[in-house]
Amino acid sequence: MRLLRALVVVALLAAAAYAGYRFFLPPPPVTAATATVYYCKLDGETLAKWVVSVNPHATDTTSVAFYVTAQAVAGPPADTAAIRFPNGTVVRSAHVDGGTASVDLGGAIATNQSGSFAEGGEFKALVWTLTSLPGVTAVQVKIDGVRVPTLPGGHLELDEPLTRQSW
Amino acid sequence: MNRLRVRAGKTAALAVALAIACGVPLRAQTIGTDNNFWFAGTHLVFEHPQLHGDSLAVATDDDGLGRLLAKAGAVLSYQPGQKYVVLTDAQRRTIAFTLGDPHFTVGGVLETAAFAPYASGDVAYLPLLDVARALYLDPVSDAGLVVLQPQIAALDVRAESTATLVTLRGGTPLHFKRLSKPGDDTVTLAFTGTGSTLAPDRTINDNILRDVAISVTGSPKNPTTTITFSAVAGGLHVLVPSDSPNSVTLAFAQSGVQLGGTTIPATGGGAGAVGALSLSEPTLAQRPAPPAVPAPLPAATLPPSAGATAVAGLPDEGGTVPSAAQTPTADGLTPATITAFDTQNVDDGFTIKLTISGPVTYEWHRLSDNRWYVDLKPANLTIPGQEQPLNDPSIVSLRIKPFVGPSDHLATVRVAFTMPSPREVTLIPSIDGMTIAIDSQDDSGVQTAGTGELIDGQLVAAIVPLPIVAAAPVTEGAEQPWKFSLPSGVRNPKLIVIDPGHGGSDTGAAHNGLVEAYLNLDVARRLRAVLIARGWQVKMTRDSDVDVYQPNDSARDELQARDDIANNAGARLLVSVHTNAFTTSELQGTTTYYYTASSHPLAEAVHARLAAALPTQDDGIRKENFYVIHHQTMPGILVEMAFMTNPGDAKLLSSSAFLQSVAVAIADGIGDYTSSGGQPVSSTSSDTSANASDGN
Repeated sequence: MRLLRALVVVALLAAAAYAGYRFFLPPPPVTAATATVYYCKLDGETLAKWVVSVNPHATDTTSVAFYVTAQAVAGPPADTAAIRFPNGTVVRSAHVDGGTASVDLGGAIATNQSGSFAEGGEFKALVWTLTSLPGVTAVQVKIDGVRVPTLPGGHLELDEPLTRQSW
Repeated sequence: MNRLRVRAGKTAALAVALAIACGVPLRAQTIGTDNNFWFAGTHLVFEHPQLHGDSLAVATDDDGLGRLLAKAGAVLSYQPGQKYVVLTDAQRRTIAFTLGDPHFTVGGVLETAAFAPYASGDVAYLPLLDVARALYLDPVSDAGLVVLQPQIAALDVRAESTATLVTLRGGTPLHFKRLSKPGDDTVTLAFTGTGSTLAPDRTINDNILRDVAISVTGSPKNPTTTITFSAVAGGLHVLVPSDSPNSVTLAFAQSGVQLGGTTIPATGGGAGAVGALSLSEPTLAQRPAPPAVPAPLPAATLPPSAGATAVAGLPDEGGTVPSAAQTPTADGLTPATITAFDTQNVDDGFTIKLTISGPVTYEWHRLSDNRWYVDLKPANLTIPGQEQPLNDPSIVSLRIKPFVGPSDHLATVRVAFTMPSPREVTLIPSIDGMTIAIDSQDDSGVQTAGTGELIDGQLVAAIVPLPIVAAAPVTEGAEQPWKFSLPSGVRNPKLIVIDPGHGGSDTGAAHNGLVEAYLNLDVARRLRAVLIARGWQVKMTRDSDVDVYQPNDSARDELQARDDIANNAGARLLVSVHTNAFTTSELQGTTTYYYTASSHPLAEAVHARLAAALPTQDDGIRKENFYVIHHQTMPGILVEMAFMTNPGDAKLLSSSAFLQSVAVAIADGIGDYTSSGGQPVSSTSSDTSANASDGN
């Protein structure tokens, strides 16, 4: 019986210690892995980048490609001046096959006419982001699952893979 | 820049931390498990939630979640088989979950969810309340319901050199009522439907803004957050355009400082709070869509001439003859007046000179049996109509008659004539009207119809009419530079194809009362008039508000159809005219795009003239793989005149003078390009007079 009480006290102390640990110490870093995401500045040409953490449980290339695509489509924080994909753009899928990343976008991008200037900056940043992944040199864009020549009413040609040399 | 940030989340985070330390289940994990939610004024039902421990899990394809995200302005990205689920909110924060891991990030900040998201079939299940909180939607119990109450969850204060900017960020679009009077030193705004856990008092004290007081009233379902900003006496405060409907930004400054933005309205928010422009002098681009150009009637279907003395074979007007005093205009436009006409036999053909007072549109057609006519509208003829046979090698008969258009009810004057063969006909605008030049040579027949607009006074005065002899751009036997540099696809070195971007079912961008398709057409018509006056042949990919391929076609079909027109005609150059737009109002300026290497000199030449002539910001030339300037066989460029989303540029775009300047500058650039033999030019001359170059 005395042993049982001792075990209960030890358990309570351990619980209290864990709670204190959670309170006083910052959360442990999720990962040591990072990825680079680019955005295009409002001059339409200059690229800037920021670094995002990658979850250590999802570091395979396809997962990271999806993640950085979502980050690139979201763009940098709101108070950063940047050319951005239309609000409401969704990443439907992202795959990497050989040296080509295939990205399928949907939502607002499928109907929004963001103009020639924005199109150039949006996709330039996306291509730079994905081609910063190891082994990726080109990006094939699909819209709602379909390879399209351009965006609706659009300008930038999308039916062939884009590379950094496309600009 | 000194930046102060006051975040409501700090208080909540501290409470969470304390509760965890004390072992209290403060995540409210026991609420919301019975799928009885209230959000944004209505019940919110999730279709197939799962109970995960004592927390509710919702599927990524659940319609209830979809409605919640739509109202919050957020989107969800997930791919079956993927490990990440990423939500992006209206303010571009990413909320990233990883399947199998309870940690998730909100704008890069690590959080811990009630449970690890998991996959089931082709969908992933997410912890609902964690998603809601990340989107600034706080779960609040209310009589058996769980209200997902939108919050004003962040109040960012940014002190700049002359102003203090305050940005409020909410979980759903923010709508406010201004409770204070416009001239008060304090600004009080009441945000309906929105709660807040922000601290009730914030002291700023930056010599512009003293403090901010926040209070919340109302019920959990219908909260109202009232925020009072106490500024220095006599200071200024304006509403600043915001990129997101979920945020409202105010700028405060001391008196005498120039502040961008608009006066804080009595009600506002919810739509970016972009100030409306007051644009005057509507141009063609702002008017209703112009009627489509009717296809030329086959000769066999032409109605007979109405007049007993009509000259045989001249196209009949098909309308009613107005009285002499009639000035009918269906849309209130003042008709131009045609006060005189003069015919003259010249060395190379025959000319008909019309003296016109006032702006007028024209629309011409070449019929297959050597008849040709032009309708001028709205216009009155102040002299007697004429019908006369002519004994001239270039013209067989001529008629000038007024009538009222049967479809548009506009006063119209038609000039119609019959030629012995399909002669080349050129319209040459002049300061006092228009000259119709009938050449002694037959036309190549590339163009059968066209429209344009003549504006008397200064704008047209800039276009110096060329003598008929000079109007012929190619002299047989004369050495022309393009003989050594023309691309192989060019079969008609006199022909330039102008492509007014968009049109018909595709209006292009529309902002500030401007519609891109109309603007592009307006400038394209002006450009055509200038080029024709300089002796070029011009073919338009569209000459009215129509799709070039067919309505609601694919972008490829539409753009390829435009390239096909240029390619099939063997044109020398392709110029696509566009108006730029952006998601915010800050971008401005003029850009010229090219893609193929052979197009680069043309882009340089045209842009140099645009940069010199226009008051817009020079955004330079850019290489972009745009479809319409990639699949043509001749040099081609795409000109983005200005940003219709920028207030300054929009004001320019609403001005006829600016649109005319764009047209003249493009024509000048084409002249520079062709006179240089298609080689790179370095002209930055500000001389944009129409006779600076004649395209030869």
